[in-house]
Amino acid sequence: MFRLTFKNLWARKWRSLMTAVAVIFGIALVAGTYVLTDTTNQAFDQIFNESLAGTDVVVTAKSEVDQQDGSTPSFSAKVLKDVQGVDGVRQATGGIFSTGAILDSEGDSTGGGFAPQFISSTLPETFDTSTYPEGHLPTGPDEATLDEAAAERAGIEVGDTIQLVGVGKAVPFRLVGLMRLGGSSFGGTSVAQVDLPVAQKLTGKEGQFDQISIAADTGISDEELRDRVAEVVPNDVRVETADENADRNASEIRESLSFLTIALLAFAAIALFVGSFVIFNVFSITVAQRTREFGMLRTLGAGRRQILRSVLIESFLIGLFGSVIGILVGYGLAAGLSALLKAIGAELPANSLVVLPRTIIVSLVIGTGVTMVSSFIPAIRSTRVPPIAALQENIVIGGKNRVVLRTAIAVLLGLIGLVLIGSTLISGTDGGSGAASIGAGAVCVLIAISIFAPKLVVPAASIIGAPIEKLGGLNGRLARENSQRNPARTAITAAALMIGLALVSFVTVFASGLSSSVNKVVDDSLPGEITLQGTGGVLPFPAGAIKAVQQVDGVEAASGVRYVSVKVDGKTAPISSVDPADIVKVYTVEWKEGSNTDLTGLTDDEIVIGDKLADDVGAGVGDTVTLVSQKGQEFDFRVRAVMKTDSIELAGQGIVTQTAMERDFKVQSNAVGLVKLDPGASLESTQSAVETALKEPFPTVDVLNQGELKEQQKSQINGLLAMIYVLLALAVVVSLVGIVVTLILSIFERTRELGMLRAIGMSRRQIKRMVRYEAVITAVIGAVSGLVVGVIFAFLIGIPLSGDGFELSYPVGTLVVILILTALAGVLAAIYPARKAAKLDVLEAVSYE
Amino acid sequence: MESTLAAPSQSASSESPIVKAIGIERVYGEGQAEVRALDGVDVSFEKGRFTSIMGPSGSGKSTLMHILAGLDKPTAGSVEVDGEEITGLGDSDLTELRRDKLGFVFQFFNLLSVLTAEENILLPLSIAKKKPDQEWVDQVIDRVGLTDRRSHRPSELSGGQQQRVAVARALVTRPAVLFADEPTGNLDSKSSEDVLALLRGAVDETGQTVIMVTHEPDAAAHGDRLIALRDGKLVHDAPPVSADNVIELLKTLG
Repeated sequence: MFRLTFKNLWARKWRSLMTAVAVIFGIALVAGTYVLTDTTNQAFDQIFNESLAGTDVVVTAKSEVDQQDGSTPSFSAKVLKDVQGVDGVRQATGGIFSTGAILDSEGDSTGGGFAPQFISSTLPETFDTSTYPEGHLPTGPDEATLDEAAAERAGIEVGDTIQLVGVGKAVPFRLVGLMRLGGSSFGGTSVAQVDLPVAQKLTGKEGQFDQISIAADTGISDEELRDRVAEVVPNDVRVETADENADRNASEIRESLSFLTIALLAFAAIALFVGSFVIFNVFSITVAQRTREFGMLRTLGAGRRQILRSVLIESFLIGLFGSVIGILVGYGLAAGLSALLKAIGAELPANSLVVLPRTIIVSLVIGTGVTMVSSFIPAIRSTRVPPIAALQENIVIGGKNRVVLRTAIAVLLGLIGLVLIGSTLISGTDGGSGAASIGAGAVCVLIAISIFAPKLVVPAASIIGAPIEKLGGLNGRLARENSQRNPARTAITAAALMIGLALVSFVTVFASGLSSSVNKVVDDSLPGEITLQGTGGVLPFPAGAIKAVQQVDGVEAASGVRYVSVKVDGKTAPISSVDPADIVKVYTVEWKEGSNTDLTGLTDDEIVIGDKLADDVGAGVGDTVTLVSQKGQEFDFRVRAVMKTDSIELAGQGIVTQTAMERDFKVQSNAVGLVKLDPGASLESTQSAVETALKEPFPTVDVLNQGELKEQQKSQINGLLAMIYVLLALAVVVSLVGIVVTLILSIFERTRELGMLRAIGMSRRQIKRMVRYEAVITAVIGAVSGLVVGVIFAFLIGIPLSGDGFELSYPVGTLVVILILTALAGVLAAIYPARKAAKLDVLEAVSYE
Repeated sequence: MESTLAAPSQSASSESPIVKAIGIERVYGEGQAEVRALDGVDVSFEKGRFTSIMGPSGSGKSTLMHILAGLDKPTAGSVEVDGEEITGLGDSDLTELRRDKLGFVFQFFNLLSVLTAEENILLPLSIAKKKPDQEWVDQVIDRVGLTDRRSHRPSELSGGQQQRVAVARALVTRPAVLFADEPTGNLDSKSSEDVLALLRGAVDETGQTVIMVTHEPDAAAHGDRLIALRDGKLVHDAPPVSADNVIELLKTLG
């Protein structure tokens, strides 16, 4: 039996290969994701370990509240004196390592996209593990070094001028050296080094350090020294050995990357889910075609178990083969994914690609597992073939009980899904958890639809086939009839495509909703004409920029907006700060309890809170709320008014004054600036006047009018959308492979019929056209049902989110384009099967048994 | 069963043949594995006659028919159909030939299960995008006795009825030659008789040319002419006398 299994596989190697493709894509993404994240993690491990090679103990500030930008607080430089006094400390030095902007002499950014740039202080020789392949360390207040890779990217050489921006105006430096850290790559990240006092001034951390590095005397262990240092330092700092610090940093990176891992694995799961439909179909058809062979084996004395085993071994081998190829492809994909991330400006550091045993084991287990599970039902069906089948022309296996069971499962799943969706809608669970439970419900409904699909295929094909029949006459008619001949087969092929397209249309509708919601916020909440942002909308910009803009002719009002995350009653909430005098002119607040005068009259000990936060902590006007800062300090604010929270939380969950923000939370830079022009001022000339005023001192500020702002937001959303499309394309390609295989297998079954058609005068072109039409019908059934399902899901998920001001919009044009593209993809999928059908030798076809 | 046969029409034999094969050889394989399916066959078929081709398994009778119909290519020799040399034709010309001049009836009916009886009958016209001559179509359907079965699907028809649909499908284009490959091989004797009577009738009433491969003496006896092959060579060519006579002939062929 084993030999027979192998021979069968080999005899149908082409089919087996196509079946394997169903898992190859998904597994490639699984393996690729692991390789990518393992490689990145390892690169970060290396960076942290290498940079701390000369350090034994590290002092950093504790962070009580995670910030959205990932920044950590600094601490008082006085701590250094205490540390230096500890017995066993050979040397200790304070350092700065903060985000900033590195610009060339023209004021243009040297980085790209989202990759962070850092301003760092130089370290004494003891701690400095970098090498300087060119030039030397900065020796004065106007000298800087830059990491070698960043200099190369920006085309900057030693001797050139660079500008660094921290919390103030751009400051020019002469580049005196290039820095390299061991063998590590920083990815897209760049680091500029300046002398410690210069770094402190640039980053607004005079009298502060981000870190103290300590070297131990010989004879004292890192742990011992750590404990001794810990006794003398204040409790807002943390003392760790160098290893502990590296591990913590690495695990924080790992955690922040885990989002990426999960997202990519989710797409892999989608591709595998779609692939399982294809596998199921191929095995179902194969088993049906081999009915007579199974019957023959039974007459020869093969038991059911032997038949089952032979089919399962076959699927095991196909799955194993697909997984192995998938791992190899995934290795290549990791490089591709890394390039994709680089393209959207999120380059990850990487040395050589890392393949852990876990990657291989997980990929093999999932790949073979999915294949075997998907082929299980067809395998069971093969055991139901009675020996008599060997002697009969056509035998149909199966009974009513399975129909009942199948219907029961479909109804049950559908109900679970609907209950999940319905209960979420009724209970009105807002935001993320609501969307998640609706998503889970959607998956259940999707499977239920797939199970019911065979019933829908016949009418669907009639409707979709109608225009094709008009267009293609007989070929169209036959194509439509062929697609209806075996509804289960067409249904599963179309369902595979449906899943991919449901997701495509879902994200399309959702993204368009997101864009229009952003537009709505811009229109409704921002009465000003101009918005200021840090370069690329990521980096905060200096507070001085707002003052500069306020001086420009034609500007009526301008307010910066700063953000910080705080804890209120143990919950993390983002709050903002504004210039009370100008804010109501540039930002429209919808009040729940209060009015604009509460904002203009806001004092430094008062806060306006959002209605959500008010509900969460049970606070109202006149109450006192306690905000816990990142450093763990508590600050009391009196609630002056309650505002409604807008959908993008432009004002966060609370508004305080700029003074309070700087005094209590040490935030000195603006994330956004809102500008309103004088009633008569021309937008064009004032905008360019603002640009001119900012260009020299504040080159990191982007000046956008409302139209440009909407465009920028839209292009950011579309960038993300494009990436999701690319990943969903994997699933769609798998389902197209499904169309190809199913068509080929159907053609194989219809050999005699095709031969007859050729014998009575059908030309090769007509045969090809017929096959093509059939593919288009199947593809369009999948596309239309996918679009409908996707739009409905987007609509359903939009309901709980509408509480947050989310507003759906339906990009009809895009959806129609998707539909047409899918139909074209159907034509593409039919190329090979059509050629195969047309090439059938008429003689062989009519005498085919 | 009926064993009196119509005599071959003398007038037809004087015309130039509708199908003419000269020096047909068909060799499969090479060297040791070489099989000579046809070994120098010369044969012509006159218009309006019903010819049966017989022979034991492996005699080359099916191969001969396939070559005459342009479905297979001879290793050597030439075939003319209706005055046109077909051995060198490419696929599209052969397709045209089949459309315009040939009709086929197969052993396994080969109907499209998704089409009704009438649609199956009209299929060759649809393929060729020709407008059906309704009067002729009605006549053909009437002749095969399926007027009240027009809108039935093949699965709702008996084997005999299905084969009658197939015969109607072959007749509807008024082909120069109708090839039938074991048309009764899958039918009971009553249905076989119906189908053979149809073919006979087409020859007698409309002057249809029919070439039929069969291994059933009863079927062969319906023809005007019986040719027999053995080991790839033509060994017998004469009008059949009776089924018994044909059985005797087959015995001598071994």
